[in-house]
Amino acid sequence: MSTCIITGASRGIGRAVAIELSKRKEIQDFILIARDSVKLEETKKLMAPHNEIHICAVDVGDIDELSKIVNWAGESFGSIDYLLNIAGYADPHSLIDTTNENWETTYKVNVQAPFVLIRESVPYMKEKGGVILNVASTAGITPRPGWLAYSSSKAAIISMSETLTDELMEYGIKVYCISPGRCATDLRRALAPDEDQSKIMQPSHVAKVISNMIFENENCLDGQNIIVRKPVLR
Amino acid sequence: MELILLAGGVGKRMKQTIPKQLLLIGGKPIIIHTLERVDSIQAISKIIITTPAEYIDQLKNLVRKYKLKTPFIVIEGGGSRQESVKKGLEYVTSEHVMIHEAVRPFVLREEFEALIEMKDENVTLGLDIPFTVLEGKDKIEKILERSTLFNVQLPQKFSTKKLKIAHEFAEKEHKEFTEDASMIFYYLNEEVKVKKGTEYNIKVTTPIDMVIGEIIYKDFILGRSSV
Repeated sequence: MSTCIITGASRGIGRAVAIELSKRKEIQDFILIARDSVKLEETKKLMAPHNEIHICAVDVGDIDELSKIVNWAGESFGSIDYLLNIAGYADPHSLIDTTNENWETTYKVNVQAPFVLIRESVPYMKEKGGVILNVASTAGITPRPGWLAYSSSKAAIISMSETLTDELMEYGIKVYCISPGRCATDLRRALAPDEDQSKIMQPSHVAKVISNMIFENENCLDGQNIIVRKPVLR
Repeated sequence: MELILLAGGVGKRMKQTIPKQLLLIGGKPIIIHTLERVDSIQAISKIIITTPAEYIDQLKNLVRKYKLKTPFIVIEGGGSRQESVKKGLEYVTSEHVMIHEAVRPFVLREEFEALIEMKDENVTLGLDIPFTVLEGKDKIEKILERSTLFNVQLPQKFSTKKLKIAHEFAEKEHKEFTEDASMIFYYLNEEVKVKKGTEYNIKVTTPIDMVIGEIIYKDFILGRSSV
């Protein structure tokens, strides 16, 4: 029996990953976390039917609720084997226009939530080993004027992933980190409304990369920031 | 098989107010390194942790926080290492018992398992001595033959019944031993086998051991996991 927690599963990369991983026989129980229960139900319907799928309609910024979900999952299923931190938040502004509230929300969703989910999950992973995957961004490794909160939060998750790779190695827990480039998500649409989304990388592309990475090529890709980008003719 | 884990340090030799078993290596308390290793061994069914009374609650909370699976109890140790073992033995119900020290965090799971699987009743880990040891304090009293000596390491495994008898003798005679292999050998003339350990299995005792410990943790424990 294997249990998998996915945040941000109501849309975009999170939904695509939930669908892709539901085809794998390695996982039996899914816990999908996102704010929108209707969209989570839609994701559930798109997933392979043989799985147990539990929906948790919770704001990923609600840190206390995240701890409760992990503890419930760990106690109910006996172990947590896969944790995929995919939920993300971006509300880009220049330095002067970035409010404290914007900064805090960005860090809460992009950094604190993965940190808490990992901290709470590891005790349930230690016995059998497990997989943690954090979705960062190419914004975390290149300067992005006007994206200070988002890009620095993604740099933090890259650094967190590298440190945790070493720290959790002795438990047989592998930590992966991917940084997708431009991807056709709702978030991207809001930020670049004029872009032709059919020409850029799709969430399903990223989902396939993640599935391949953690199930097929698992041995040499952990512990480093993997950039996932589709070259596009300009 | 049950295990007595000695966590009696009060930090004197470490020149710290925090007992050495609670100092951090790789950001994690030393005793947790040790307990996590023990926790991964199926054959160990119970851990009896002996510690000074003032650290009992702190240790219980730590073990719970790290969600260790092996059943454990934390009891107040005695005034000496020997007394702590004797007190711990009162809670042992298995035919054989393992003794280990919390401040030997780099013992390998395989080393525990090798001792458990050995048919011999009494076994200790030990290492060849790579340097010269002489008898005496202010002046040399006696030359010792290095090739006949070994460095006693832990863990150790003993017949519970025989170890209890040896402790009764020692208590009656007010004789202090620094570890249990010599005690059981001295009183019962029992054969105690020596299983070769690794040089990484150090006892974290003085401040320099913390520096060495960080290196062992990163290069040996984590490095080993990555192979």
